[in-house]
Amino acid sequence: MTKIAPDRCLTCSDDAVEAQVVDVSGNDAIVLVAGARAHIAIDLVPESCPGDLLLCHAGIALERLERSCDVPQVAPSHKVSAAVESKVGL
Amino acid sequence: MKYVDEFRSADLARGLAAEITSLVRPGETVRIMEVCGGHTHAIYRHGLEDLLPPEVELVHGPGCPVCVIPMGRVDDAIALAEEPGVTLATFGDMMRVPGGRGSLLEAKARGADIRMVYSPLDALALAANLPDRRVIFFAIGFETTAPATAVTLLRARAEGTPNFAVFCNHVTIEPPLRAILETPGLRVDAFIGPGHVSTVIGTNAYRFIPEEYGRSVAVSAFEPVDLLQAMAMLLRQRAEGRCEVENQYTRVVRPEGNSRALAAINATMELRDEFEWRGLGTIPKSALQLRPEFAAWDAEKLFTVPGERIEDPKACRCGEVLTGQIKPWECGVFGTACTPERPLGTCMVSSEGACAAFYAYGRQRRLAEDPVGV
Repeated sequence: MTKIAPDRCLTCSDDAVEAQVVDVSGNDAIVLVAGARAHIAIDLVPESCPGDLLLCHAGIALERLERSCDVPQVAPSHKVSAAVESKVGL
Repeated sequence: MKYVDEFRSADLARGLAAEITSLVRPGETVRIMEVCGGHTHAIYRHGLEDLLPPEVELVHGPGCPVCVIPMGRVDDAIALAEEPGVTLATFGDMMRVPGGRGSLLEAKARGADIRMVYSPLDALALAANLPDRRVIFFAIGFETTAPATAVTLLRARAEGTPNFAVFCNHVTIEPPLRAILETPGLRVDAFIGPGHVSTVIGTNAYRFIPEEYGRSVAVSAFEPVDLLQAMAMLLRQRAEGRCEVENQYTRVVRPEGNSRALAAINATMELRDEFEWRGLGTIPKSALQLRPEFAAWDAEKLFTVPGERIEDPKACRCGEVLTGQIKPWECGVFGTACTPERPLGTCMVSSEGACAAFYAYGRQRRLAEDPVGV
């Protein structure tokens, strides 16, 4: 993954950065931050879609800051999503 | 940049600073602890203390995930890295943290295969590319980072990657806050709650602070206007006789947190009986270990780690810095024997550490004020 936030501690930290979704494929998304493209796991926000602004930390998206669509475009077909969602009864 | 520029507005910052000044009585002292290392970094980087009235004192808290890792766990990581056939992967800052046997960077120089990664998922990809080696991810961080490790473990199991493992050092935020709140003679009046930890655990997780300890909380984002607004919220509570948890970071933090992230953590990890924290000592039920069903990916089950407790160097006062008892410049080795280039203590390693942040942004002003004090 590219280091995407020059003025923040991304390498270790409890900091996080905002990233705009360019493309979604399964539980992975390509995001754009300050002109750099990076791969981000969206297991925890599987309803993400292109145009969304995500809060990312250590290679995964933690939350959706802005939603460009409200209808889920990504079916939670990946085994990880299924495992996670079964735990919370989604 | 969106969500950055508007939260760095000088006009808004000056307006909030004026409001903060209006909410304190001349001559009194109000101590506000910013729990998160990211906040400490932002406060120094943007010079926020210069905007505040002398009545408001900011106290730095224990929320830098690198800073709270004790030296013994660094030695454990080095021991794992020196096992035959092992590749150890970790975040860049952890490679510079000194243990009793030096740092991971020095172990790498001696020949250990240690790689820097930005995500545990990078370590999992490394394992797929190195099928003849056992790739161990040295995991650190609070609840913000634990979901990334959890998702990686779930993917490792789903994808059937047998040569991946995790050396788990994830910690939780509530126990150190309780430890600080129970410190005799506590001198903290209110807390700025961590922003991204709260994305995961939610603001409800801090209700024990006003309810059991009578201190108010404002969860905050990381830009200067965010932090000043959080301080104004805390002082407004005080002026109005309220004591509660408020949420300044409404654009991303919800009262209940992120249920999927919490479920991923719960699916893969459980509380340890106890864990040693730098500066706070051993705290029961304050850190996470892998669940038994993930033993096949648990480095502590696959290998024997020394697990020895290593005393911090006597000259290092990171513990007192982490608990807000002293300021970075009050440590005798700050900026002399301990610098970002050659850190003696963890607070000087990470950019979120109070000492590193003050060294980078604050010491010149103090040097000008007090040439012999720094």
